[in-house]
Amino acid sequence: MLIPAIWIAALVFASELTLLSIGFTLTYLTAKVPNFAHGTYAGVGIYVSYTFAKILHMSPYIGFPLAFVLGGIFSVIIYKLVIGVLQSLGGGAIVLTISTLAIQIFLTGFIQIYAYYLRARFNTYAMAFLLKQDDFSVGDFPGIFIVSLSLTALSVVSLHFMLTRTKIGVAMRATAEDPELASVLGININNVQLFSWFLTGGMACLAGAMIPMWFMSTPQSGAAIITSIMAGSLLGGFESVYGAVIGGAIVGISEIMLTTWGQAILGPWVGEWRPIVPMIFLVAVLLIEPEGLEGAWNRFKASERGEKLLKSVGLMKAEA
Amino acid sequence: MIQDIALGLLISGVAVEGTSRLIVDIAMYFGLFVIVAMALNFQYGNAGIPNMGCAVQVIVGGFTVSALTTRLIFSIVKSSGVELMPWADDFDWVYNNPANVAMTNTYIADKPMFGVSMLLFSLAVALILGAVIGWIIALPAIRLRATYLMIVLITMADASQIFGRNVPAISGGTLGVFIPDIFKWYQGDRTILTAIIALLIGLVSFFIFRTMLNSPYGRLMRSIRENEITVGSVGKNVVGIRRNILMFASGITALSGTLLAFYFSYVVEANYQRAFWTYWPWLMLILGGPGNNAGTFLGCALVVAMRRVIIVNKWFLQAVFFFPIAYFESILLGVLLIVVIMFRPNGLIPEKLLYIPGVNYRKLVDEEAVVDWRGAPKARGASSGISGIFRTLGGRKEADD
Repeated sequence: MLIPAIWIAALVFASELTLLSIGFTLTYLTAKVPNFAHGTYAGVGIYVSYTFAKILHMSPYIGFPLAFVLGGIFSVIIYKLVIGVLQSLGGGAIVLTISTLAIQIFLTGFIQIYAYYLRARFNTYAMAFLLKQDDFSVGDFPGIFIVSLSLTALSVVSLHFMLTRTKIGVAMRATAEDPELASVLGININNVQLFSWFLTGGMACLAGAMIPMWFMSTPQSGAAIITSIMAGSLLGGFESVYGAVIGGAIVGISEIMLTTWGQAILGPWVGEWRPIVPMIFLVAVLLIEPEGLEGAWNRFKASERGEKLLKSVGLMKAEA
Repeated sequence: MIQDIALGLLISGVAVEGTSRLIVDIAMYFGLFVIVAMALNFQYGNAGIPNMGCAVQVIVGGFTVSALTTRLIFSIVKSSGVELMPWADDFDWVYNNPANVAMTNTYIADKPMFGVSMLLFSLAVALILGAVIGWIIALPAIRLRATYLMIVLITMADASQIFGRNVPAISGGTLGVFIPDIFKWYQGDRTILTAIIALLIGLVSFFIFRTMLNSPYGRLMRSIRENEITVGSVGKNVVGIRRNILMFASGITALSGTLLAFYFSYVVEANYQRAFWTYWPWLMLILGGPGNNAGTFLGCALVVAMRRVIIVNKWFLQAVFFFPIAYFESILLGVLLIVVIMFRPNGLIPEKLLYIPGVNYRKLVDEEAVVDWRGAPKARGASSGISGIFRTLGGRKEADD
């Protein structure tokens, strides 16, 4: 095989995490809410894939468009019923965050009930499963490797063009910068918010639909992945979509590769500590550079232009 | 019912069953959760620190008992001549644990002072370790935005559980460890005694928090919650005060985990789940009303009673639902949280103004305090100081009427 299986796993996970981190960051930019329920949308996607593969006996890839639409609809409903209402009531950042936590608990409960229903009704292993055998393969590569990488690359490129070239993308950026000014300029903020929530929810659900193709999934997988998403987003700078692309990829790859290397060097017990890796990223980023890669990059750029020369003398010397 | 509980508390061999047992259970959980929720109220309701990591501090209290108190008791018992089995390495620690605990229990059976001192030791160590944990979790994020703090604290709750699961020396990994029954010398029902101790600690911490709130420090906390920039600009160290509040409240929260360990006589990390020890206290706090201890008590009582009644009656409720009732519980938690946040953002009991001796604070806030000395009556005996100002204002109001 051209690429070792573990690198395939790392790249698949990294591309899924990149999609999720972009969505998390976009939600934070437009609605100013760290959406803790973002990982749970992925949980919805996981069960869309499962339903297609095991209940309808089709290829899970057929379910991907449905997963996108379903995640978007879930996300819009949540925005319409909870987040938007709370924002219009004047809830602060803390209240909104707690409400997203509540949504996460609620949605996870529903996914659990759905999984239990599938198990009771169809006698399938809906509580913990893997859909590797439903995958196709291209040469030596499993299908999900190609699909996930190309889907993520496609999403990133189209998102870039959407944000820079199209009207709705510019409107989204304007809303993220200053909602009041944007509404003065004639942008319908409500529509922009709805579009952004639909997009992020759909992307998260799509990423979730890819998870069981390579990784063990349970009803709680969606809720558990939120730490990695937040680590990726925070590493990217928390307020930068491009940062989230890089941050999600770095956290995704290192979560799998650090654990694998640790297992090879220190022993098999390291595998249990995999959830610690994104937490280390989180704490390290907050301690070293709270603005993440975006902040570091900005500082770097500023120093090159010589605007903040005195502040970043150390950086200049390292470059020279 | 009450007689049952009282008899069970005093005399050995009385079975506390049925509704009486449910009442003891509710009292115990009320005691535990009221400590957590009150500490949370102290942090979030009054100082505006969104501590989403109560589970970390509670788990630290539990780990104190399993990792430190149990080892201390074992070494004391061994040095006094009881032939305990070895417990030095991880394997012995987990697998010899039941035998060791059984031998230790017979040793404690006639030594009340030993049991009580071990309880006090655990509580003191949990208080200190909880404060240390508060300091550590404050380290990366207390200077930053509140959302960062929430993110870090939520992940730390997961991290602490991973530590408990994978380091058997702490609490026996996934198997858990039994802990010696430090109330073995007591002839009545041990659980009722634990419940009473939990309620007492809750009461004492209520008075501590109340005193702190009504002191100048309480005003400082509320002013940080309202506008930290203003407080910082008048020369207060906002970051330091926040850290102190987090440390103090963390210490108190850890007591709850210690008591839970003694209630079960058993510690396993699965007992200290994030959902259980973070989200439910938050629901209690928000339901009762943040910034208000009476509200916290009310929310705590309602939620704990509801949960325990559901759990105790789950076999009857199970007939109604086709899925396990535990899933329904998480849906209930989520819906309740959202509904309370939306429809009663101030909780059942709204926040009260602080008590400041000698100052009619309510008047100061409710009425527009316009100081217009021209209209004030001239001769006022003691019109110096703040009480004089208020008397003057009062006089002016009468003249207007």
